[in-house]
Amino acid sequence: MFSRLLVANRGEIALRIIRACRELGVRSVAVYSEADARSPHVREADEAVCIGPPPSKDSYLLGDRLIEVARATGAEAVHPGYGFLSERAWFARAVRDAGLVWVGPPAEAIEAMGSKTAARQLAIGAGVPVVPGTTDGLRDAAEAAGIAERFGYPVLLKAAAGGGGKGMRVVRQPGELAAALAAARREAQNAFGDDSVYVEKYIEGPRHVEIQVLFDHHGTGLAIGERECSVQRRHQKMIEEAPSVAVSPELRRRMGETAVAAGRAAGYANAGTCEFLLDRDGRFYFLEMNTRIQVEHPVTECVTGLDLVQWQLRIAAGERLPFADGTVFEPRGWAIECRITAEDPANGFLPSTGRITHLHLPAGPGVRWDGGIEAGGEVTLFYDPMLAKLVVHAPTRPLAIARMHRALSELVIEGVETSREFHLRVMEHPDFRAGDISIQWLEQRLPELAAPPVPVRVEQLAAVAAALLAQRDRTAPAQRAGADASPAAGRAAPRDAAADAWRLAGRREGLRSS
Amino acid sequence: MKYRVRIGDRMHDVVLEGDTAVIDGETLRVHLAEVPGSPIRMVTVGDAVHRVVARREAGRGTWRLSVDGWTVTAEALDERQRAILERQRASGPQGPAPLVAPMPGLVVRIHVAVGDAVVAGQGLVAMEAMKMENELKAAGAGTVRAILVEPGQAVEKGTVLVELA
Repeated sequence: MFSRLLVANRGEIALRIIRACRELGVRSVAVYSEADARSPHVREADEAVCIGPPPSKDSYLLGDRLIEVARATGAEAVHPGYGFLSERAWFARAVRDAGLVWVGPPAEAIEAMGSKTAARQLAIGAGVPVVPGTTDGLRDAAEAAGIAERFGYPVLLKAAAGGGGKGMRVVRQPGELAAALAAARREAQNAFGDDSVYVEKYIEGPRHVEIQVLFDHHGTGLAIGERECSVQRRHQKMIEEAPSVAVSPELRRRMGETAVAAGRAAGYANAGTCEFLLDRDGRFYFLEMNTRIQVEHPVTECVTGLDLVQWQLRIAAGERLPFADGTVFEPRGWAIECRITAEDPANGFLPSTGRITHLHLPAGPGVRWDGGIEAGGEVTLFYDPMLAKLVVHAPTRPLAIARMHRALSELVIEGVETSREFHLRVMEHPDFRAGDISIQWLEQRLPELAAPPVPVRVEQLAAVAAALLAQRDRTAPAQRAGADASPAAGRAAPRDAAADAWRLAGRREGLRSS
Repeated sequence: MKYRVRIGDRMHDVVLEGDTAVIDGETLRVHLAEVPGSPIRMVTVGDAVHRVVARREAGRGTWRLSVDGWTVTAEALDERQRAILERQRASGPQGPAPLVAPMPGLVVRIHVAVGDAVVAGQGLVAMEAMKMENELKAAGAGTVRAILVEPGQAVEKGTVLVELA
């Protein structure tokens, strides 16, 4: 095992890696930008080096600087986390060329999986199913009909120059094809000045199901189970779970074998994830491979008992996986993760910034908090709005949902708007509880999940609470006002006005009505 | 003491007498306790205990309250204050709220010009923050009275971007 490792990341994932290092007896070296000088990951590491100003391009994305720090501190390995430089083949290569160990797949494997088209070709070569489609524009309706017959209906007609749903048509029966093709061509011509149209198989109500894989450097490759990440907004995952309601043991085995085959074709090593679309009939199609640790890895850790980040380090250090090829990992229990982001669901998920004035974390059985925030910390616009991941583990899915609801209810984050209540609404939603979701589900249900009407009972309780607070202000206004004002709450009063929130409120009122 | 509490579009009457409250005609025992060093309050209604996270907002008697997994903004005023406020609002200039930057960021595009009529929910300004572009929408219908920023300008949270009349 390494004696010292550089953590080339920030926030919760840096902390996650530092924790793994500490448990394995590896000294961790954190890097940080000037904006992160007081961040938890800096304090929890054994050593920490400032690498530049707040913008990522001047700090966390400076590959040469990171390698320089690794050398100067005597680190033997570099863990990139996710995001930033984690999937940059050039950085993996530069780390290797500097005589350091890259905790991840070889640069060549990152490259092979790096572009969607190259990965698709690689997958096809390895016998991995991809969404069937043509790559040349259709000549006429007869050609379209022939291809559709081969793929099976429904099919999707798609403008070559496409985007935004224009020039797209779902065709469910042969009889509709000619008219749909003409319409798609017209739309494509009007929208893009190019009427070429492709055809691909239309996947009905697909789920996003991905397979976690682990490959060591001694030829062993394992699929260690699936995660379902269908709750997405604008292709951003919000909630992940393991296992998936849609995956049977038999399907798990087949998807696992497929994922391992894709990894082998790319010469993979270390931890990775193959993403698939899963249709209603249990057919799955390869989308892409993520050549790094994933945000949502904890749900797999919960149901398999494997510490994936520790295994990343062990594999990079040359250890063998202690499992035979083809070992099947049956999930134990059910795990759910909610991404707690600094976004305001009631306001179109606008990012929210400010100082975290109060933080109360959920605890108790089966609750895990992977976070990079603390009270007093500043949420800025420099980095990703994800504050933390709240993860629960329970024997069954209904119990896991109840546990997540309970944990979210305990969580208090004051100072920035967060996605907490949005997650509560999802946990309460009958579709989610029934596992009846697809990747379009969230977008379709967004209004009722992001800004639902407040129940009358809650409103009455809030009215009583507000009246009691007003009553208290009346009895001792001067000191109450000071005690209750939350100065740095972002949208509220500036700090120096905290002592006299009444007068401030009065001034604001005056401003507002003028 | 009678309070008239506005939450969204609804008004709730709460009469507090000692440790009882009459809310929308129903009588209950109530109590408020603070959790020292935190924005958390314990509100007891009958035998039920609720954790309420309270934050003062701009505006007299206005609180942002997180209650049982829901967040609402409540404006609690006694009858006299409510009457004064309503008179002020009635006599003051009416008009839709201006468009304000909800976060620091960069103005990318402005979709309207002075004099344009806009409807509620119409996108007025595109702003970039946290590497994402966000469409800022009009809260209510009105006419664009002034545009106070231009594309490419960095703005702080709370900056008035567009004034409506």
